[in-house]
Amino acid sequence: MSGSTIAMAGLSHRTAPIELRERVHVDADSVREVVPGLLEASSVEECVVLSTCNRTEFYIHSADPASAQAAAIEVIARRGGMDTQQVEPHVYRSRGYESVAHLFRVAAGLDSLVVGEAEILGQVGDAYELGLSLPNTVGPVLHRLFQSARAVGGVVRSETRLGHGAASIPSAAVQLAIKVFGSLEGKTAMVLGAGDMGVITLRCLLAEGVSQILVGNRTVERARETVAQIGGVAVSMEGFWDELSHVDILVTSTASTHPVVDRSSLSRARQDTGSPLLVLDIALPRDVEPEAGALPGVFLYNIDDLQKVVGEAEEARRAEVSPAERLVTDHATRFWRWYRSRAVAPVIRGLRAHGEAIRLEELERLFADLDAPSELDRERIEQATRRLLNKLLHPSTVAVRRAAIDPNAVEFLDSLRAELGLDGPPQVPEGERGGSHGLAASSRSAAGPEEARGERTNEARG
Amino acid sequence: MILVLHLIALALYLTAWVLQLRGFRQGKALGELEVTAVGAGLGVHAAGILLYALAYRSLPLVGIGPASSSLAFAIGLFVFAASVRSDVRSAGLFLLPPMLLLLGEAILMGIEPAGRQIAFRGPWFVLHVSTVFVGYAGLAAASAASIMYVLQFRTLKRKEFGSVFRFFPALPALDRLNKIGLAVGFPALTIGLIAGWSWTLTFGRGLALEDPGTILGIVTWGAYLVAIVARMRPGPRGERAAVVSVIAFVVTFAAFLALRITAGETGFFL
Repeated sequence: MSGSTIAMAGLSHRTAPIELRERVHVDADSVREVVPGLLEASSVEECVVLSTCNRTEFYIHSADPASAQAAAIEVIARRGGMDTQQVEPHVYRSRGYESVAHLFRVAAGLDSLVVGEAEILGQVGDAYELGLSLPNTVGPVLHRLFQSARAVGGVVRSETRLGHGAASIPSAAVQLAIKVFGSLEGKTAMVLGAGDMGVITLRCLLAEGVSQILVGNRTVERARETVAQIGGVAVSMEGFWDELSHVDILVTSTASTHPVVDRSSLSRARQDTGSPLLVLDIALPRDVEPEAGALPGVFLYNIDDLQKVVGEAEEARRAEVSPAERLVTDHATRFWRWYRSRAVAPVIRGLRAHGEAIRLEELERLFADLDAPSELDRERIEQATRRLLNKLLHPSTVAVRRAAIDPNAVEFLDSLRAELGLDGPPQVPEGERGGSHGLAASSRSAAGPEEARGERTNEARG
Repeated sequence: MILVLHLIALALYLTAWVLQLRGFRQGKALGELEVTAVGAGLGVHAAGILLYALAYRSLPLVGIGPASSSLAFAIGLFVFAASVRSDVRSAGLFLLPPMLLLLGEAILMGIEPAGRQIAFRGPWFVLHVSTVFVGYAGLAAASAASIMYVLQFRTLKRKEFGSVFRFFPALPALDRLNKIGLAVGFPALTIGLIAGWSWTLTFGRGLALEDPGTILGIVTWGAYLVAIVARMRPGPRGERAAVVSVIAFVVTFAAFLALRITAGETGFFL
């Protein structure tokens, strides 16, 4: 436990191609195999593995973070079918405050491929829960770290609009549908063509409450294949126009080189319909004549329009990055204060024990000199000396607590420990003690927040 | 004290509107703070009205100041109802300005009874004015919803995905607010006009067609009757209903301005 710190090693979409990320991915079963090995083979005290399609990161609490990180990177290399030298350009590592801030940024969605996406917060929670289910894997430090990370993710999403707006073409389609229809409960959607994007869009619409799905294609067999994937009813091209009269959302994604939905046919199909029709033409070249968008009750959007919705949302999200970063820094700083203050608890206990020993020694001498003091006098003297000791120690306790979050006070704490005769190396986290893995005190203050920072490489800089 | 309470209510409504404007500018959904501001404003406003009723032993229905305050309160009830439902919360963007103007006018003109109280008393009169105010408030909500509907509809058709797209409610939510505004406002106005006519009969007079208040009431009633008929026609309803509601609002507002300018001393109604 002495000199332990929080450390992290891993790779992500920022540093590794998808092929490598896929190979390295550690699923729940693999975590159950890998983590006990790490705990046995190195100085790892606690470990949580966060592995998604975009990142695989090992969060560690260890007295020897360098070897713990090396062990984690070895696991990554082994899973990637590479040696550690080959995987080195793709990995990053950090220690101390940087690891905390990194995890909080990840949980907030600030490090995601699509900034602000919400899925990562659930994945952080899953990684923690998985760690909890393994024996001796999550201790008090990583427990608090991951609980805090989940809280930060929630705070960022509730206090900023980082996660708002459409982040992809299908989610833009859903956003438009909600603006046109309010709720999608009970609505009917039809996809024309069986392209991947059309199917993904339909899945998103289904998730929002669309109740009936129709799949139209030139060949009914192909439509049936799609139906087998997502459910619904296959429709032939002949039946397409009849069905169109009662459809609310039409998604077109055929490979046709000319428009398959023209204004006049659409007008005829919808002539007796009072409800609006949302047409999402995500095919290239377009499937729907642009003039069809001028029909009453028809809202027509092509792939560029949907991209525009995504672009507007991205712009709004970008404006929220700074406030989100500030929240992350605030919470990371708060966590770091807690973490460092627990490291000086033995010093405070030692200080109090030292004072108490002196008090008792002096009391013994005093009572020996006094001529048979009464029980009442003894009690009064006891209380007075206890009060005196508390008052004398209060400023020192405050000073030690302050020193815990002051990077320049390491020497002070060391000498205090020596004076108090506390055994073993100082309890200040190793990553914050300078040396090869920490930043010098002078550079720490410039890097802000004022607390010490560990080293960080590769992605962590990006 | 009545004035102080009205000033506090004005400040709270203004806060709610500033939150609406900020939400619109940033394309942000409105939080609970806006609902709290409107709710607190209404509470303080209600206390002001109650204090007025206790002090003067009559509801604040007569005189520009008291009547403006009451009408602002009636609109405030719709704003609060819309704020509680998160899907139409941003309707306050359009409903709060008339409230602020009315309350500001009430404060400037003085919230105290006009010298005509003795004539303006009795249950028929109270029924007439209070239902007319509820009617106007309902029609204001319907108008705000229809204006927002038209803007959101145009945005969706023109594929402009800016603040209007993000901040304004979905089309069906606005259509529903328009419908509720009309469903409450039109019958209330109808009852109010009938009660007003009955009230004039108690003085042995017929319908006072030369009275600007009567003219405005009839014009408003007619304009919104057309809006209701437009809603009931078959076919795609939303846009048509919204456009006709906007026209009804423009007609009513134009009539109000024209009457206020031309009626002179007799244009005391508001």
